[in-house]
Amino acid sequence: MPVDPLLQGLVAGFAVEAQEVVQKVTMDLLELERDGLETDALSKLYVRLGRHLHTLKGSAASLGMQDLSDIAHKLEDALAPLKANPQKMPRPVVDVLLHGLDLFLLRAQAHADGRGDALPDPAAALAQLVADAPPPEEAAAMGGPATAAPEPAAATSPVAAEPAPLPTPELPESADAGWRVSARQVTSLMREVERLREVRLRFEERGRELDRVATLLARQGLLAETAEARSLLAGTARTLRTDGEETGDIVEALEEGLKAITTRPVRTILDPLQRMVRDLSRQLGKEARLSVVGSEVSLDRRLLEKLQGALVHLLRNAVDHGLEMPAERERAGKHHEGALTMRVEQQGNLLYLECADDGAGIDLDKVRKVAESRGLVTAEEAARLNENQARDLIFRPGFSTRTDVTDTSGRGVGLDAVRASVESLQGRIEVASTPGQGTRFMLTLPVDLGSSPVLVVRVLEQLVGLPMLAVEATQLARADALRLGKRRAHWEYQGQLLPVVDLGARLGLRALTPPAEGQPLLIVQSGGKRVALAVDAVVGDRDLVIRPLPSEVRDVPAWQGAATLSRGELLLICRPDWLVTDTAQAQVVAQRRALVVDDSLTARALHRAMLEAGGFTVHLAASGARALDRLQTDTYDVVICDLDMEEMDGTQLIAKLRERRETASLPVILVSAHDSAAARERGLAAGADGYLSKRECAAGRLLAEVLDVMSRRGNRA
Amino acid sequence: MKVTPRTMEEAQEAEARELLERRASRLREQGEAAVEEAVHWIAEFPLGEERYALSLETLRAALPLKMVSPVPLSAPHVVGVLRFQGQVLAALSLASLLGGHGWRQDPAVLLVVDRGDGELCALDCEAIPRPTTVPMSAVEAARVRAEGPVMEVFTQDRQLIHLIDLKRLFASRGTGGRHAR
Repeated sequence: MPVDPLLQGLVAGFAVEAQEVVQKVTMDLLELERDGLETDALSKLYVRLGRHLHTLKGSAASLGMQDLSDIAHKLEDALAPLKANPQKMPRPVVDVLLHGLDLFLLRAQAHADGRGDALPDPAAALAQLVADAPPPEEAAAMGGPATAAPEPAAATSPVAAEPAPLPTPELPESADAGWRVSARQVTSLMREVERLREVRLRFEERGRELDRVATLLARQGLLAETAEARSLLAGTARTLRTDGEETGDIVEALEEGLKAITTRPVRTILDPLQRMVRDLSRQLGKEARLSVVGSEVSLDRRLLEKLQGALVHLLRNAVDHGLEMPAERERAGKHHEGALTMRVEQQGNLLYLECADDGAGIDLDKVRKVAESRGLVTAEEAARLNENQARDLIFRPGFSTRTDVTDTSGRGVGLDAVRASVESLQGRIEVASTPGQGTRFMLTLPVDLGSSPVLVVRVLEQLVGLPMLAVEATQLARADALRLGKRRAHWEYQGQLLPVVDLGARLGLRALTPPAEGQPLLIVQSGGKRVALAVDAVVGDRDLVIRPLPSEVRDVPAWQGAATLSRGELLLICRPDWLVTDTAQAQVVAQRRALVVDDSLTARALHRAMLEAGGFTVHLAASGARALDRLQTDTYDVVICDLDMEEMDGTQLIAKLRERRETASLPVILVSAHDSAAARERGLAAGADGYLSKRECAAGRLLAEVLDVMSRRGNRA
Repeated sequence: MKVTPRTMEEAQEAEARELLERRASRLREQGEAAVEEAVHWIAEFPLGEERYALSLETLRAALPLKMVSPVPLSAPHVVGVLRFQGQVLAALSLASLLGGHGWRQDPAVLLVVDRGDGELCALDCEAIPRPTTVPMSAVEAARVRAEGPVMEVFTQDRQLIHLIDLKRLFASRGTGGRHAR
């Protein structure tokens, strides 16, 4: 049925709008199919449904698409008897309405693509639709006891007798009302906004610098002479602050605007899955209900498109493999309707997506046998696999526990494709399962558009960022709320005892120590777990753009990304889920311990690598003063120290160490770029136990020298 | 035996042939010389007691070694991360990557290089490298001989240079941290 060429431009817009309306109608139908809705709720749903169908009919007719208008009209007919007497909608009626909506959308798309002329006559499809629908009185009776007769006029009036529906005032948006831009253009614009946010941070830093200059001038005893300059500086600092705030407002507005363009709610891909779950479970003779938590989270459109396939796979898998048949569920003491849950949460630049079912769980023995029979592992390998490794087999290409190939599964293509898809987005997928209770698939994906609030903390010299969403509260350690155990401390918080995690020890920067009185404790939560995180100081909160880490450090589970601070340095952002994971922190491994003191980052890294390879636990200090601080709280078997450091050189550090009783006999090895005999003599005379030139270190002498010095000290002791 | 003198045409033809042969020979020599002169540009620097180099085409920038944030729990060859043209790059210890033990002086420079897989990273270095050339034929021969990421190439003055093939270097290493999953 051809569409008026003048209206063709509007049809494309109509197809998009129709898709949205049909999605709403679908959700209402699925709701109406469920048990236990109050009459009021049912009435509202029927009214809304009727209005949506009428909108579809009116819009289609106004654009001259009579076939679509007729389909919508037939759907209204099918709805009429139930609308008069609101009740749970019988499944056959839901089926007919859903089928009719499919037909409507297919034809709407064909019209939008300019293929309207090639469409078959809708009469046959309409006749089939009418034939499939139960008679009005039967439809009304199927849903429950009918208390009122259906409206005969509405149910029986032929299409031709219906007056032409009035055009709705809201015509589809004109195709030329917007611009078509490439994702690359929008992304590059977003990057510029991110840069502007960094500029805004630098504004703040410059303001602080001006304040420092003004303070310095006031300290010089030149109060009178510098009064004018200080007043000028104060004025400039004020203006800078105002400009910075204005820049901040602009950045916020730009970011919000761009986010609105580049993102859409997860709901837009999750809602259509409700229909899929319903159809698939009906096809398999099962019952399932999908609940979604966090569907309002807005995400990059490109990410959503890429995720959609993976989510479809996971849900189909859950219905087909996870959920049991209703009778079997009831025998196991479960509700006959299986529960599927999709949970979406964003923390900083990480997206957590969880797909769970309350089905039978993964049968690991069966997984092992199938993997073996499909040649994925040998019998010996299968026997050696622990539970996690066995569970991981389900992600192998070619794996399927189905022995027959169905429309749904059995081809061995599924979870491996899901994993490949998640990994292509630099994400990760994990699975947890309990026999008889169900299975959970957890996806973690980086999201790299826009800024997010971050709490900056300090531990030793290291600044660390924490996604603000994960930080529930900040407290100061008090002896009366601390419970010190043999292996770890606990913090009493809201009537619960939370394990205390020392961030410095968790990051391998220092030995584990219980929190001191007044030390900041952050209550960090993730995935339902909470810990009290001990840090040395809370620096403050910032709105930062968290960028993904390069491949060399992407797999370090402690970090989720890095953000630029005001001076251009990077701040590492810690993963809350890693922080709350119970680890071997409490396990004290008796290892030899070394402290490397060097103001060169690369020298510290190299010495650490050498010593760790030799079985040492290595801590690092960037200056003599930091080393002395470290030695106040930690004990070490050896210190490797650079001779030439600013502030305090190696010989001065040794002198300080020898003054203190606890460190008077601590073995110290000096390392220096000077290779002369005089330098060596000077070092040894200062009290060093050993002296190595960088050249000797480069030749691989460091570990041997450390062991030698420790042995000599041991013998002397 | 009767000797028949050459005609003028025959003599001219012989001379022309000889001339053409001389020209062809000269051109052939030029061609061979041109092949020998094909060179490979490298960025050369000392590492420990030896001379190392990277292909100049892989080098994107040389930066002062500062503003590098250490990454606790990362692999030993990772010095830290830094920001370069809006991207987050890993700074890696070249000595550690190559299995060495250290530098003669503390590195002061970071070389931003293309790893060969499209990603950039930064490698530490004692000093800004010196651009120079090595014969292309020597590089090709070394590439055939080498099994690992470092090729031993001799310069025209018979000096040994260890040319690092970054693609091979990064392909042979696993990424990740000490506690990577």
